[in-house]
Formats: sequence, structure tokens, C-alpha cells
Amino acid sequence: MRPNRLVLLLATILPSFTVAADLLPPDRPIESVIDHYIDARLATSKSKAVDQADDYTLIRRLTLDLVGRIPTPAESKAFVESKDAKKREQLVDRLMASGAFVRHQANQFDAMISGPSSRTSGIRDYLVKALGSNKSWDVIFRELLVPNDDDAATKGSGEYLKTRITDLDRVTNDVSVTFFGVNVSCAQCHDHPLVQDWKQDHFFGMKSFFARSFDNGGFLAERDDATVKFKPTKGPEKTAKMMFLTGKTFNPPARKEQTKEEEIKERQKFEQAKKDKKSPPPPSFSARAKLVEIALQTEEAVFFSKAISNRLWHRFLGYGLVMPLDQMHSENPASHPELLQWLGRDMANHQYDLRRMIRGIVLSKTYSRSSKWTGDIPPAPGVFAVAQLKPLTPMQLAASMRVAVADPATFEGKPEDVEKRLESIENSARGFAGNIAAPTDDFQIGVSEALLFSNSDRVEKEFLNDGGDRLIGKLKTIKDPTQAVELMISSTLCRPATPDEKKLLTEYLQRRTDRSADAQRQILWSLLSGAEFRFNY
Amino acid sequence: MNTKSTFCGSNDHRLNRRGFLGLSAAAGVSAFADMTGLDALSNSALAGELKKDQKRVIMLWLAGGSSQLETFDPKPGAPTGGPFRSIQTAVPGVHISELMPKLAARMQHTCIIRSLNTKNGDHGGAAKLMMRGRRDEAVVKYPDLGAVMAKEMGRADSKVPDYVTFYTQTEGRMAGDSGFLGSRYAPMELTTNNQPPDIRKLDGISELDHVQRADLRELMSKQFSQGRPNKVLGSHNEAYQRVRGLMASEKLFDVSQESAKTRDLYGRSQFGEQALIARRLAEAGVPFIRVARAWWDSHGQNFETHQEMVPELDHVMAALIDDLKDRGLLENTMIVTLAEFGRTPGINSSLGRDHFASAWSCSITGGGIKGGVAYGKTDANGNKVVEGEADAAKLYATIYSALGINPHKNYYLGSRPVPLVEPGTEAIKELVA
Repeated sequence: MRPNRLVLLLATILPSFTVAADLLPPDRPIESVIDHYIDARLATSKSKAVDQADDYTLIRRLTLDLVGRIPTPAESKAFVESKDAKKREQLVDRLMASGAFVRHQANQFDAMISGPSSRTSGIRDYLVKALGSNKSWDVIFRELLVPNDDDAATKGSGEYLKTRITDLDRVTNDVSVTFFGVNVSCAQCHDHPLVQDWKQDHFFGMKSFFARSFDNGGFLAERDDATVKFKPTKGPEKTAKMMFLTGKTFNPPARKEQTKEEEIKERQKFEQAKKDKKSPPPPSFSARAKLVEIALQTEEAVFFSKAISNRLWHRFLGYGLVMPLDQMHSENPASHPELLQWLGRDMANHQYDLRRMIRGIVLSKTYSRSSKWTGDIPPAPGVFAVAQLKPLTPMQLAASMRVAVADPATFEGKPEDVEKRLESIENSARGFAGNIAAPTDDFQIGVSEALLFSNSDRVEKEFLNDGGDRLIGKLKTIKDPTQAVELMISSTLCRPATPDEKKLLTEYLQRRTDRSADAQRQILWSLLSGAEFRFNY
Repeated sequence: MNTKSTFCGSNDHRLNRRGFLGLSAAAGVSAFADMTGLDALSNSALAGELKKDQKRVIMLWLAGGSSQLETFDPKPGAPTGGPFRSIQTAVPGVHISELMPKLAARMQHTCIIRSLNTKNGDHGGAAKLMMRGRRDEAVVKYPDLGAVMAKEMGRADSKVPDYVTFYTQTEGRMAGDSGFLGSRYAPMELTTNNQPPDIRKLDGISELDHVQRADLRELMSKQFSQGRPNKVLGSHNEAYQRVRGLMASEKLFDVSQESAKTRDLYGRSQFGEQALIARRLAEAGVPFIRVARAWWDSHGQNFETHQEMVPELDHVMAALIDDLKDRGLLENTMIVTLAEFGRTPGINSSLGRDHFASAWSCSITGGGIKGGVAYGKTDANGNKVVEGEADAAKLYATIYSALGINPHKNYYLGSRPVPLVEPGTEAIKELVA
């Protein structure tokens, strides 16, 4: 890379450090900074933000986002009726202190790291442990990229690389996409056609950090040497330098020429480890560890810190500050560049504390807007004037269905007992979740889901049966049809029934007095399969 | 480094960038953040996709890898030729294996490609390749032909499925895969019998209640949708709107609706019955149906295997051709007879043939393909292609072109244009009618 290019590149991707002085002060609460920047942009646009969501919607949204299920009727009622000015903070803190928060966020991070349809459980198990002990994002990053198979405390983290290392191009791009918000795959064959930032030097530079790694009989191993060569679109073949995305290069310690004997000895060490089913000997210098070190250095960390900020923002707001999530580069600026810079700086300043950032985001007014637009055409999602609908993940959907069809009385009692009951509900939802497609970019729901709900006896047996601890069982004891309707709506949709709904559904029941239990099941079915239930809105 | 495996809109891949650049110039790069309108834009930008909405594909998938020497590219008398003779077809100069006399008599409708060199001899990887026409990349999972057909030819309000796949046998069973197109275009999979999953109402609910609870669902969902325009929400409601229509299509899967004569035409074998169902589905407007017939992996006793299985294939192909022709459907329905690879010309010590991807054959009939053509050539022993070499990309470019789908059309993955076939690949012109 020519020096002038390097200057240009750094100037375009490192604005957070060059203009840091202009950002809001670092000690201001995250939520207030978010609202400041979002409102400032709204004030200059033609759009006006919609009102805040009502309390029923807010507790549903927070409960789904933080612990992966809908709230119980008792939780909703308590929240809505509370007059405490701090009730939202209290709810967020209660949910975030629960084991369910750790499990749900582990699911979300697993989908982000492994891909939506991953079948390996090792990474999720690792994430549950890591998030449960409040590990920060930089530590998780390090443990995924430099795993230690012999350390029981981080067991499972090695699966991330083990499942990828046989394809170095893949691991190079996956790591760049997931941890740095950058898709360098285009720069594999040529300098990126549209984005000046990405050259072949970057792709092969990043690949060089992984080129020494290989699979040694199911264990991740790293050699002391390996070179990556590539053929540029013009000119002779080049040997890649270890180069981070910022253009920062690193020269690995020179290695003295090995004799044939030394080479054979080294190979034998790896073979022996393979035979013994043991971790291979560590390298004298680890290129992967070096990558982690460089990526977290102050000047370089801008990619790491902004990428995780953008991904968390996307998870909770349903739309990124930079979209697509893997296209963070100078020609695809953030909708709110100062906000992303501030959030990135905040992450770095607070040791990449995920809980702190999540709490800040969900306490903002931007997060708690209504999802309903009342004007003609809603503004672009990147203005954040109205909340985005988020399709439930398979686990969110299945667990929520289980909560909805339970007799609400089973959620009353000591908080720790309720917590246990909810955990067992969550576990029992895992099977059904396997039938639901995980949301991806450009997600659309297919007919197989509609057919499953409409005709599968699995839905019938798992959700519409009339066991004693079930809603249907409880409904049998209720004679007044309107009261039954009210109970069904509050259990499934987490809000009171509207007058129109009461009328419509009561009539539905009254027309089927000869088969009232069936009619109740049909209404429950229509609520569970309905659009309102399917989304976090 | 394979410079063809990744594509991203660069001139290096020799693609017409007009669609991409024109759009970005008009809308600004940040507009790519919202990709909802792109499908419509890219569709209208690419003209010349005439009558494509009438096109259907029936794929006969010969799982395990059938032998080209015992089907479409016989080498009688050669050391690699095996015991079977070749016979003259209805097209002068074109000979195929004597195990396929019925297809031989219908050769004027069919083209054979004898020059496939697809370079992958591993069942799993090769099957993926031949079902997609291209290899997955690290971050790009490509849709298979069925999913592309579902997207290109399926309609949002269709009362029939978009993509059906029969894979009753277990050998090499590979689920259909819509890749980055997602679950909207995922197939209806039939693996245990000829009855699609969840298509029939449970006995516990009456017809009327089944309809009325769905109406209730729709009414309340519409209420919720007001003021919330959203593509995923739209797909959810569309999926439910299709349920009743799909349930009504159950009878399409029931061969007993056909006359005994028609059933005899296809034969009463599982393969024959599934091919007949495929015709019923194609006739009703299903864009893509795959019928897999396994157990072709003849590492031992290749000749007995083919002596038993090729006549069945011959019979089913002939029945499909005759039946589609009689119904006036052959013009718009393409029959693709394909496997993951062919088999080695060399005969091993178990009198078997092994995996071979360097010089093998497939056949395409109808749906815009030129009949009566044997394209490409292998050498005297069938060891290598000597004329008209075609890889998976070229085969797919040909299939798409014949169907009226521009093979260079782009899908979009985020802001990245992803063309249907490897850039720089052109269809085999001689085969496109």
C-alpha cells in the first residue's frame, strides 16, 4: 500500500479519535446520549417520532428482548399498575439479573457467532458460562480466537475455530464479519471494486494471522511458520504481510532456518499429540494471539468496538446504525456517525461491558417508541422514529407459546419458584423451536410454518391440550364467555382485550356452545398463530 | 486461489455492472441499507425473460451417480465399454445405450450433453454443486435450482407449492436448500411417503371450524398489521393465506386420481408413481419438482445394477415425455435427468465403476431446450472430454437460458450483487431453442 493511501484510509475510518473532542462527554448516561443524537437528527428531518409504547407493550418488548419470552400475566399487571417512577429501571435490572437473561443472550450471541442454523452446542455452552460470569466482549473474543482446550472453564470456545480452520478463506472472512463488521471476501480476488478501503493486501493480510493454524486430530494447532502468497490482479505473485484492517502490519519474529532433522522432530511432535489425543505443543509465537492483541489496541480497536456496538443496537432496535452489519466502511457511513462513535468509545472505555451497553440501549426513549405508524408512509427505519418489528427467534417463539398456554396461576408464588418453572418451560420449548426457521437478513416466513401450525398434531398436543396446569384446563372452569376471552387475550397477547375483540371472540364462542372447549382451543390457536404473537413489536 | 469462486460486482468477473451502478447512482449508496425494493427493481431492469412464468422443471435426480456409458454415452467395443451395445436413435447419427430403447425412439425431443467436466467426485459436495450450479462460499450459501425456480416462477398467492422434492430412498439423501433466499423458498420435502407433511387437516377439527379459525386469525392479524408495513409480517400473512390452497392441492399427490391407463404408462413402481405426481404438480403450476431415484452408486456389479435400473429410467422418461407432449405441456416443462457425477470408464475388480466427474453426461428435454441434439464428445474410451466441455456453471447457464431466466441476473445479499451463475459463463447456444 502506498503511504498516501494509508493516510487516506486512516482518515476515513478513524474519525472517532480525530474528532473525539466534539462528541458528548463520556460520562453522560448511554440512554441520554442515544436519545440526544437520534432526536437531533429527527429535528432536522421531516419525520416526527411516534409516541412511546404503552406499558403493556414495553414490558412485553423488554421481556422478549432480555430474557427471550413473553411476560406472564402477573408480571404485566404488576408493571402496568406500578406507580414507581423507577419501575422501568427496576424491571430491566430484575430481568438482567436472572439466569434467563444469560441463557437468552447466549442464544443470541450463538446465532451471531455460529450462524442462525448452527447445530453445535459447544459454543452456546461456552457462552452461557462466559456471560454468566460477566465476561466482557474482548475476553470472549480472545477465548474464541485463542482457545485453550485444556482449560475446563472455557470449554467449547474452541469449536468456533475448529469448525472453520480447514477453510482459511472462510475463517478470515467470518472473523472479519463477526468481530469487525467488515466483509473482506470481495478483496479475495481483487481490490474491492466499490470500497476503496479494502485491498487484496487486507484480505491476505488478515488471512496470514490464521495461516499457521490447522486441525491436528480434532485439536487446534499452530505452527511457527507459514506464508500466504497471492496473485494480485496486476503484477507478480506477492507474499502477504500480516496486516490488520486498519493497514497496521506486523512482522513476526524471524525464525532461524530449520535443519531437516528439526523439521522432522517438529512434525513428530504434532503426530504424537494426535495419537495421544492431546493438545498439540503451543507455538513459540502465536499469530492468532497477535491478531487479538492488535485488534484491541487503542487505534485499531475502532473496528472491534463499533462492530459490537452496531450489533447490539441492531439486536435491540431491529435495525443497525450501519446496515448491512458487515458493511462498515467509509463508503457506507452510519446513519448516526457520532452516536456510533460515542457508543464504540463507551464500549472501549468500559472494558467492553456487554451488560452496561445493553442496559443503556433498552433504557433509551428511542428503544421504547411505539411500533405503530399513524401517518401515510413511515420514515426509513434508519431514522428510528418508530420501533421496528422483530420476528421472534425460534426459541423466543416456542418459549413464549409455552408461557402463553400455561394456567396463569402457575406463575404465582415465590419468585424463585416462578423462575424455576419458567426455566423448565424454556427447556421444554427447545424441541418445537427446531421446527421454526431462524431469522436471517432479508428473512421471510415460509408456508411450512403456516402448515405446521394449521395441521400438525404437534401444535395440538404441545400447546392446545387441556392438562391441569394449562390455560385450556383453567378455561373449563370459566362459564362466562367474555371472561374466557379476556383471559385468553391477556395470557397470549400480554394486554387487555379491546372491546372489539371481546365482541368478536365472545360471538365466536357463543356460536359454538355445542363444542365450547373446541371453540376455546380454536381461539387460542388463532392468537398463537397470529401476527401479533409472532413478532416483538 | 480460485478467482472464480467469489463474486462481488467487479469488472474482474466480466459482469455487466449496469444494474448495480445505475441503482447506486440513482439512490445513493446508503439506500442499500433498505433492500426491500430491490427485487422489483432488478426484475424490471432485465428484460427478455419472456413467458418465463409458464415454465416448470421436473428433475429426475439419479442419486449415487449413474453411468454415462450405460446410458447416454456408450462406448461399445472399447476396453471400457462393458457388455451392452449401442442403438440408433430417432435422430440419425446419435446412438445411446441399448438399455434405453424408449428414449431412443423419442430422441427428437431430448438433448444429451456428453461433455460434463465438473471436477468434483465426492457425493456430498458434487450433489450440492450439481443441484446449484455453483459452490458455496464462506458467507454465501447458494439456493438450489428448486429454490431459484420457486422465486422466479412462484406466485405469492399460489394455491400450489413452489418447490416439491421427493427423496424417499436414503442413499445420498440431500434436503432441498434455499440458501440465502431463506425459508420463503424452502421446499416441501417428501421423504417417507407421497403425502406431504402437514397438508391434511387433523380429524379433531371440522372443515368449517378449520376455515373459520383461520378467518379469525387473519382478521386479528390484519388489525395488528395496520400502521406496521413490514416485509416479514407480509410473508407471515401470505404464508397463512396459502394454507387452504395448499391443502386443496393434496389430491395432486394422489395417483389414484389418474386412470389405470395413465398409471400403467408410468409404471406402478415408486419412481414411476412419483414421476406421475410430478407431472400432476407441474400441470397444476408447481414450478419445480425433484424426484430422486437412488442406488446408482455401482462400485460393484455396475452392469447388473444398470441392467436393472436403466430400463426403469428409460420407461419413466419416455412416459413423462409422451404424457407432457399429449397434454401440450412439454414446451414449457423441462425434464432434467441429472446426477452428482458419472462413473469411471475403467472397470474395477468388482466389475464396478467408481466416481467420475471428468467426462460424463446428462439429459434435458422440453421447456425451451432444443431436442434431437447430442452435444459434446468424449474420447474413444470415454476418459476425457474432447469437444464442447461444460462445467456445472455452463450447464446451469443453459438451463436458465432455455427457461427464459437471464443467467446473469443478480440477486442481492445485502448490497452485494450475486449473479445466478458464475460470471463469464455463457449458455450452450446450440441447446437453447
